[in-house]
Amino acid sequence: MKRLLGVALGVLTAIGGFVDIGDLVTNAVVGSRFGLSLVWVVGVGVVGICLFANMSGRVAAASGRATFEVIRERLGPRAGLANLSASFLINLMTVTAELGGIALALQLASSVHYLLWIPVAVVAVWLVIWRVKFSIMENVTGMLGLTLIVFVVALFLLKPDWGNLAGQALAPAIPGEETASSYWYYAIALFGAAMTPYEVFFFSSGAVEEGWSVKDLVQSRINVLVGFPLGGILSVAIAGCAAVVLLPAGIAVTSLSQVILPVAEGAGKLGLAFVLVGIVAATFGAALETTLSSGYTLAQFFGWSWGKFRRPAQAARFHLSMIICLLIGIAVLSTGVDPVLVTEYSVVFSAIALPLTYLPILIVSNDPQYMGEHVNGRAVNVLSMVYLVVILVASIAAIPLMIVTGAGS
Amino acid sequence: MILGDLLGTPVYDSDGGRLGRVADARFVVDGAPQQLMAEARLLGLVVSPHSVSSFLGYERTGVNQPWPLAQMLEWRHRGSFLVMWEDIAMIGEKSVRLREGFTAYSPALDGAGQE
Amino acid sequence: MNRPFPSTLAPVPPIAGRTLDAQLHLMDRQALDNDGVPVTTVDDLELSGPALETEIPEGTPAPILTALLTGPVLGTRIFGGRPPSSRLIRIPWKDVADVGVVIKLGVSGDSLDAGWVERWIRDKIIARIPGGRHDPR
Repeated sequence: MKRLLGVALGVLTAIGGFVDIGDLVTNAVVGSRFGLSLVWVVGVGVVGICLFANMSGRVAAASGRATFEVIRERLGPRAGLANLSASFLINLMTVTAELGGIALALQLASSVHYLLWIPVAVVAVWLVIWRVKFSIMENVTGMLGLTLIVFVVALFLLKPDWGNLAGQALAPAIPGEETASSYWYYAIALFGAAMTPYEVFFFSSGAVEEGWSVKDLVQSRINVLVGFPLGGILSVAIAGCAAVVLLPAGIAVTSLSQVILPVAEGAGKLGLAFVLVGIVAATFGAALETTLSSGYTLAQFFGWSWGKFRRPAQAARFHLSMIICLLIGIAVLSTGVDPVLVTEYSVVFSAIALPLTYLPILIVSNDPQYMGEHVNGRAVNVLSMVYLVVILVASIAAIPLMIVTGAGS
Repeated sequence: MILGDLLGTPVYDSDGGRLGRVADARFVVDGAPQQLMAEARLLGLVVSPHSVSSFLGYERTGVNQPWPLAQMLEWRHRGSFLVMWEDIAMIGEKSVRLREGFTAYSPALDGAGQE
Repeated sequence: MNRPFPSTLAPVPPIAGRTLDAQLHLMDRQALDNDGVPVTTVDDLELSGPALETEIPEGTPAPILTALLTGPVLGTRIFGGRPPSSRLIRIPWKDVADVGVVIKLGVSGDSLDAGWVERWIRDKIIARIPGGRHDPR
């Protein structure tokens, strides 16, 4: 019974923790401009993140080594440092986007300007990282994030033409007023939003934080294989709501208030309350995960003591680096840069950087020196080689498409 | 000396013919016993004619998954060999010279790469 | 390039001890102290010899691993150059207890020079923030 509860809790937090500001904004933008014609990318991304999280979780459980320790060890210091620089900067961008997301959601709830909420958000994030136990942090934000199911409810209450939606999803066509290059640019953005590298740093480091062993592999596999696809349904619902309400009205999403507009229309004031709680929880949870990930990557590369399971004094450089990252986040946001814009760039850069973390994990998960008998099976390897090609193509195509489309505008 | 300085150094035979570069150094833990682990003495150097980014040591381990990645990485190290300490004539700042009539051994490690 | 040997090479003659390849098993690995606390990553290795640019007489005993190195040597390994020997931070090989997917040391991290930055940041900054010594578990 206790075990069953553990599995249920794990799945629910995986669902609630799946969506972050990147998924919210990108899915809404895509829904409002392309309808459901890009929904297949969410599917591709969800399968990809399941595969990637499964491999890195298995590496962590079998060898006790987290992602960036492995990257440094396998790539050596030079390529490892290049990898660290890229991954760390993109992660910092995501931290900034999530912090901005919390502040924007609080602005919608309170009508106090978001810049005033930023210090509040940062202090709250830091306090949780400083004091709160890892499992409580994970479970509370994950469960509150589940309120985003209101997007699914709202989609039903909007009584859409299901046949039309299914047609958009199953026979994807580029809408007349959009170009093929912006269609593919947003395909990469959606892919990057679903397969953000920080999720993998966090997932594998979290496995070490919670002291996983190979005995916990079954549970972790269920969390991933059930939780992430259900989280993907939330993503699709966000796009669906935008496709039903915003696309016909000709509103292309550029702000968080437009993301939640369809919920207000479909599910009223109560729905609005739920969605605001959900967005604050999802962005807050993701802010914690990305901030921790920045500490994890640095500490694992340089071999510092790290982890929330230690007293802060026993992981001094780890905690100091996270404080500095949060301060950088404040500094960037206080320039008045639009957090939604930061988000849109961060998901594309995530897709660009993805091969850097994917490849070393794929290689190590085949190495019996680390994995013992838990090396990848044949089916996993075939699928992961297919994904290596997909990830490489997305990464290489992203920058040319960004230039051609003027970042999708 | 520092090992990092030695890695990547060009390796020549006694006639000055270039053989490749130092890709790795192999040690064997069989020296004088100490409190914890015995002394580790230099057994020899792994020389690779094409690429020195050790990158996972596919040429030395039995790992052959995932196809075709493992095969590609192994191919980059085709022709690498191990030369014993006894066959090294001189180690310099910019070159390593082997003795005349040195023996090139297979760089393969036993088992799963962790003998 | 001439290769004066066949493409199938003879295996290394049997050796009594365990073999370790520097790049594969030692370099860039995480080192943990005797309590399992990370101390550093192995940034480089130090050998007892041989003298550079001098002919090695036949029968010279093989050099041994004297220390794991950390500190500024990481920067020079990436960007080139070489820190003066006095600035190398050494973890003597005799303190190494085991080499696996991590390198286990047989001593406490607090006794090592390699931990001085961590200790400085702990004592000057982190431990001074309220709750810095709070156990999260």
